[in-house]
Amino acid sequence: MSQRNSYAVGTGLFIVLGFAALAYLATQTTSVANTHQGASYTVEAHFANIGQLKERAPVKIAGVRVGQVSSIMLDPKQEAADVKLSIDQAYSHIPDDSIATIFTSGLLGDQYVGIQYGSSKKDLADGGTLARTKPAQQLEEMLGKFFGAGGVADNLGGSYTVKARFSNVGALSVGAPVKMAGVAIGSVAAVHADPVKLDAEVELSIDKKYDQIPDDSAAAVFTSGLIGTQYVAIQPGGSPEFLKNGDEMVLTQSAMQLEDLIGKFLVNGSPAEKKDAPAGKQ
Amino acid sequence: MSAQPHRNVITNALAQIGEAGLFLLTLLAAVPRSLRYVRETVRQLWFVGAMSLTIITVCGLFVGMVLGLQLYYVLSIFGGTAASGTVVAIAIYRELGPVVTALLFAGRAGTSITAEIGLMRATDQLAAMEMMAVDPIAYVAVPRYLAGLIAMPLLCAVFCALGIFGGHLVGVTWLGIDNGTFWSNMTATVDVHKDVINGILIKSLVFGAVVSLIAVYQGYTTPPTSEGVAYATTRTVVASSIAILALDFVLTAFLM
Amino acid sequence: MTAPAAPSEPLVRIRGLTTVLNGKTIFDAMDLDIPRGRVTAIMGPSGTGKTTLLKHITGQMRGDAGQVLVDGQNVPELSRERLFALREKIGYLFQNSALLTDFDVFENIAFPLRQHTRLPEVLIRNIVLTKLQAVGLRGAASLMPAELSGGMARRVALARAIVFDPMLILYDEPFVGLDPIALSQVLKLIRTLNETLGITSVLVAHELDAIKQVADLVYLIANGKVVAQGDPKTIANDGSPWTRQFFGGDIDGPVPFQYPAGDYAQALGLGGDRA
Repeated sequence: MSQRNSYAVGTGLFIVLGFAALAYLATQTTSVANTHQGASYTVEAHFANIGQLKERAPVKIAGVRVGQVSSIMLDPKQEAADVKLSIDQAYSHIPDDSIATIFTSGLLGDQYVGIQYGSSKKDLADGGTLARTKPAQQLEEMLGKFFGAGGVADNLGGSYTVKARFSNVGALSVGAPVKMAGVAIGSVAAVHADPVKLDAEVELSIDKKYDQIPDDSAAAVFTSGLIGTQYVAIQPGGSPEFLKNGDEMVLTQSAMQLEDLIGKFLVNGSPAEKKDAPAGKQ
Repeated sequence: MSAQPHRNVITNALAQIGEAGLFLLTLLAAVPRSLRYVRETVRQLWFVGAMSLTIITVCGLFVGMVLGLQLYYVLSIFGGTAASGTVVAIAIYRELGPVVTALLFAGRAGTSITAEIGLMRATDQLAAMEMMAVDPIAYVAVPRYLAGLIAMPLLCAVFCALGIFGGHLVGVTWLGIDNGTFWSNMTATVDVHKDVINGILIKSLVFGAVVSLIAVYQGYTTPPTSEGVAYATTRTVVASSIAILALDFVLTAFLM
Repeated sequence: MTAPAAPSEPLVRIRGLTTVLNGKTIFDAMDLDIPRGRVTAIMGPSGTGKTTLLKHITGQMRGDAGQVLVDGQNVPELSRERLFALREKIGYLFQNSALLTDFDVFENIAFPLRQHTRLPEVLIRNIVLTKLQAVGLRGAASLMPAELSGGMARRVALARAIVFDPMLILYDEPFVGLDPIALSQVLKLIRTLNETLGITSVLVAHELDAIKQVADLVYLIANGKVVAQGDPKTIANDGSPWTRQFFGGDIDGPVPFQYPAGDYAQALGLGGDRA
């Protein structure tokens, strides 16, 4: 009988160990570890560009996690992204003039919202707005570009098509997202070469929700991240007229290769050294 | 073997699958009768599960370490070593954990189940149980099958935990990836449902059910000779490996 | 026990048993009676289905036609539960002992008790030790089956077969591979169990000398039928060609030396056409 009991004990240990491992993996290494329990309150922030910020991304103060992004919407009238932040009730004393910034953890890391305290005596209330924001710093922006990446928009509400001509589309392919202020508003419907003008004609299928894009807006082919796919970014212009179905966008900026960008960056940074080097030899 | 009517490879394989399927029905029908042999199931869980822990632990650790090392080399080309925690976790949860655990399980526990039942058949122990009014399906086959079914997800969880630990050991402790980055990237990306439930639980449950069935079936239908047992043991490994990898593809396509 | 047969009735009564396996007729309308409280030996050339006959008595195999009545119950028609209930009253000694390799000697003998009863541990221990004492292996209780010699393993298997004090014990080739000492021990055990407990015994064996010492009745079966029966001391002299060949050990006779084959001359390419 003692032999039988040792089996039972050993087997019991094995089962407990297995379930402990499973519970550990499920709670400590997954996004469950990031979902905070307890009461929270919601505040809004408007960003000119959210970059690659995703829902459920962390919200941090001084590097400490205080909540998460609960939703991301594009406000078409303002050409800005409306981000709702769900913040733990324990951190309810945030000054209402605090600044929300979108940061990137590392070069390829995910983005998060950082809040820097302001000086106001008033606390941010539930449903309040963080008026002062800094948009995501994009790699392209650091290298002299403007817009970032995100997901592809769904076209459930119908779409309209505009055309744009590029001298070089790079690796842009059909289905690639069309973005404004970093939020996907449509997709590339077709890419074909024009045999006469020797350039590429791209058809952009844009969601009907976003029908107030000025007709002098510019279209550019960008790369999302360092090794990401390419997409078309629309930079709003100032015209009172809006783009309509079948219109052609006049202002375009072709794809720039990463190599070119880095090359420019290096060349621009080096002249002083070049001058010095021969001098030293003489 | 030679007494079997000549069949070509495909019909032979189909017949084996069909017979194994019917055997599964026999097993399932005997589950209520085997409830009185819970002790035997526990004992088999010890042999099949707990005794496989050593190989699972060691292999899990090394798979994680290799993964950590390879990812470090590849990701450092892009300056993205911060993502290595994420990639280690996803690779292990979705594929390496369930598949390697199942292959090891087939080699360690599956063969021993087949050989044990085969020898019991060859030495008339199964017939002796019949004669002692003990149903060998309920007493021998079902407890081993259930033990395999229960042990696989648990072994897989242990394998995955050790894999993560191995990846962390190489990536963070030895190669100097930031500890916080390693974990926060992992926790930000790994999803409970898609990675842990689908990968560790569902995949390994399916693999456990299939490998145990193959092992018990091969043992139970062994020709009662010593070469029959050797042949059946080999078949368990071959059939299990093919089944695991083929089912992995199907499950991946289905679940992801 | 439903409708127990009268004591004078044979314990096992086989009528018209017909079995065809893989196209080969094993039993051809066989009739056979095994009397209560006696030792019956079943003999016959190899491959005549002596072990198969035992399997029919225990219900491990079913014939294509005919009755196998054991203690008044027709075995082929029993439900699984009734069959298992019947088997608890039958001991079966396998040719290779068939001890469970997972357990030691003690647990092997205790196995049927643990499966079918809820006896307290003390009682199980007493029963097992009594049975082990009866076969002279009480000191070997903690050995594993792999550590036993063939004779010892057979005695342990015998102890296991009698743990429920069965009404019938079937011995499948109990003397094969035993040295003269072990053979005498097993012989004595069979005789003792039969005499002291009144257990009906059936043995399948080839050893005529051994059978002469224990058996009360011998059946010689061949070609799916009983070809001779009688007292072991006189059966060899009953004059039938089967008994003359079998007990005389003649090379040729009703059991041919040649396995059935085509024409020899033709097989060698010496067809009759050329002659």
